[in-house]
Amino acid sequence: MQPTSHSSHWLATIAIVIICVFWPLDSLATQGHAGIEGVWVHQFAHLFFLFSMGLLIFWLRQAGLVKEPGWRYIQYAAVFFILWNADAFLVHYLDEQRFAVTVTYTAPWQMRIDTTNGRHWLATVYYLAKLDHLLCVPAMACLMLGLRHMLGGDRPAQPDGRSG
Amino acid sequence: MSITAFPIWFIDVVGSVLMIFFSFISVAYCLRLKKRDPTNIIINYLLWVCVALAVFAISRSAGHLLKQILFMTEHREWWMTIKPFSGAVNTFTFIVVASVTLFFERTWAIYGTILKDRQALQTAHEKLIYLNQNLEQLVEQRTEALAISEQKYRRIFEVSKDMILVTRTDGRIVNINPAGKQLVGLHAINDAVTERRCFQDYLSHSEDWAAITQHIENRGFISSEEFDIRLGDGAKRRVLLSGSLAKSPSEDGETIHFLIKDIEQRRQMQKQMAHADKLASIGELSSGIAHEINNPLGIILGYTQLLLRNEDPQSDRFNDLKTIEKHVRSCKAIVEDLLNFARTSSPHKERLDVHAVISDVIHFVRHHSDLKAIQIETAFTPAPPRVLMDEKKIKQVLINLLMNAIHAVEGSGTIKITTAFNPADSRISIEVADTGHGIAKENLNRIFDPFFTTKPTGEGTGLGLSVSYGIIKGHGGSITVKSDPGQGAAFTIRLPVPPPL
Repeated sequence: MQPTSHSSHWLATIAIVIICVFWPLDSLATQGHAGIEGVWVHQFAHLFFLFSMGLLIFWLRQAGLVKEPGWRYIQYAAVFFILWNADAFLVHYLDEQRFAVTVTYTAPWQMRIDTTNGRHWLATVYYLAKLDHLLCVPAMACLMLGLRHMLGGDRPAQPDGRSG
Repeated sequence: MSITAFPIWFIDVVGSVLMIFFSFISVAYCLRLKKRDPTNIIINYLLWVCVALAVFAISRSAGHLLKQILFMTEHREWWMTIKPFSGAVNTFTFIVVASVTLFFERTWAIYGTILKDRQALQTAHEKLIYLNQNLEQLVEQRTEALAISEQKYRRIFEVSKDMILVTRTDGRIVNINPAGKQLVGLHAINDAVTERRCFQDYLSHSEDWAAITQHIENRGFISSEEFDIRLGDGAKRRVLLSGSLAKSPSEDGETIHFLIKDIEQRRQMQKQMAHADKLASIGELSSGIAHEINNPLGIILGYTQLLLRNEDPQSDRFNDLKTIEKHVRSCKAIVEDLLNFARTSSPHKERLDVHAVISDVIHFVRHHSDLKAIQIETAFTPAPPRVLMDEKKIKQVLINLLMNAIHAVEGSGTIKITTAFNPADSRISIEVADTGHGIAKENLNRIFDPFFTTKPTGEGTGLGLSVSYGIIKGHGGSITVKSDPGQGAAFTIRLPVPPPL
C-alpha cells in the first residue's frame, strides 16, 4: 500500500507544476482601494470605538470601580463617546454612503439641505446630527474631570478591585 | 430645507477648541498620575487613551477650524486635499483607543496576577530574611517548646494511675508506665528485660490476645473491653482495655497503644451492691410472709394452750397438744428470725463498751458449749470508743458468729476475736476468725441468704447469718466475710461510732 500512495502524490505534484508553468493567468495579488473603502473603514472604526466604550463600561461596573467619583466620570465619558460614535456613524452614513442628503451653501451663513425621495424629516435629523460636538465635548470634559479626581484624591485602582 | 448654518459653525468652532483644550489637560493629568505611580498599568492605559484622543482632537478639531477658514477664504479645493489625511488620522486614533480598551481587560488580569506573585515573593523574601536573622533564637524556642511538651506528656505517662502500654503488633512490650509495671509486677525488673516480655503473657486467658489483635486488625482500635490480667503474685484482676494501632515516627513498623484501667475494686463494689440489693429484696419478701403467718400462728398457739389447761397431763391428747405447741413455737421463732432479718423492729440503742459485750458473749458460749479443745483468743484495741447499739441484738449476732466458728473448727481449733478502731471513717471493727474448714468459694455470695445452710437437714435453719446481716444493717454497719477453703473464715463487723457527747 505505501509505495502506491507515494507514487500518486508525486504524480499530482508534477501535474500542478506543469499547469502553473505552461498555462499562466493574470496575477490577482494586489487589490486597489480607490473606491468607497475609506468610508467603510472609517465607519468600522466608529463601530469599533463604540463597542470598546461599551466594553469599558461593563468592565468598570464589574470591577466595582464606578463607586468612586473619578471612575464614575470616566464611565460617563464612555457613555458620551458611545452616543457621539452613533451620531457620527449616522452622519457619515447619510452623507457619504447613502447620499441621502445634499448640502448647499446659499449665503455665507445660510445652508440648504436637500433630501432624496422627499423625506424632509431627514433634513432635520441631519441638521441636528451635525451638532456632534455637543456629545464629544462633554465626553472629553468627563474624561478630564475623572482624571482630575484621581489626581486629587482617588488613587487609580489595583487589580484586586481596590482603588487605593 | 434652507436653514442658518451659524449654530453648526459656532458649535463646530467652539467645540473644536474645547476638544483640544480638554484632551491636552487630560494628557497632562495622566502624565502627573504616571509620575506619581509609574508601575500602575491602568495609568498607562489612560495615557494611551488620552494621547490618542488628543491626536484625534488635533486632527479633527484643527481640521474643522481649518475647513471653516478655507471655506471662508474660498479655498475649498485645499480642504479636499487635506480632508482624507485628517479622516485617516481620525480613523487610526479610533482604532488605537478601541484596541487598548479591548485588550486592557486581559492585560489588567495578567497585571493582577503579576502583582499577587510579586506580593507573595515579597512576603516569602521577608519571611526568609526574618528566619535567617532569627534562626538560632527560633530553634532555641522550638527546642524549649518541644522539651516542655515532651515533659508534659512524659509526666502524664509517668504519673498515670492507669496502665499505659506500648507494644508491637506481635505483643512485645515497647514501653510501659510505672502504674502498669506495678499492676503486672514488673516494677522490680529493668527496662531491657521488660522489653523482652510480651503483653499476652500477662493476660489470664491466652485466647484474649487473639481476640484483641483481631479486633484491632478489623477496626484499627479496641474500646473499653473487659479482660482479666494476671498479676505478679498469680492473682487475677479485672481491667478495662482500650487500644489503637499507631504508626510511630520513632519506631520501626506499627505499634499498639493501650490504656488499661483496673476495675477490680469497682467490680467488687458492684457485686456487693447487687448482693445487698438481693438481700434487701429477700428481706422485704420475708417480712411480708412473716407478718401474714405470725398472726395465725399466735391464734393456733393461744387455742392450743387453752385446750391444754383442761386436759389431763397424762392423757395422749395432752401430749398431742404439747407437740402442736412445740412446733408452733418453733415456727414462731423462725418467723421472729425472718422479721429480725428484715429489720422490722427498731433496735433499742444505747452507748455501750464493745469489749464488755464481747466478753459477756464469750462467757455465755463457754458455759453452754463444749469447748474443751477449742481455744478462744481475744485481741482488743486499747480504749475503744463506746458504740451506740442494741445490746441484745448485737449479742445475738456475736453468738451466731461464735457458734458458726465452733461448728467450723469441728471440735478443735482456735477462734480469735479482734477489735480495731479506725478514726478515719469513725468505725469500730470486730473480727471473728476461725481455723476451721473455711467456706467454699461458690457459697461465699450466698451465705447471708435466708435459709441457706451447709449443715445437714435439721441442724440449722439457715437464718443465723441472714438475721445477723439484718441486725448489723439496722445499726448502719456492715458485715463481710473472707475465706479460703481449708484456711478458715473471718467475719468482720464494722459499726459506726457516734461522735462523743
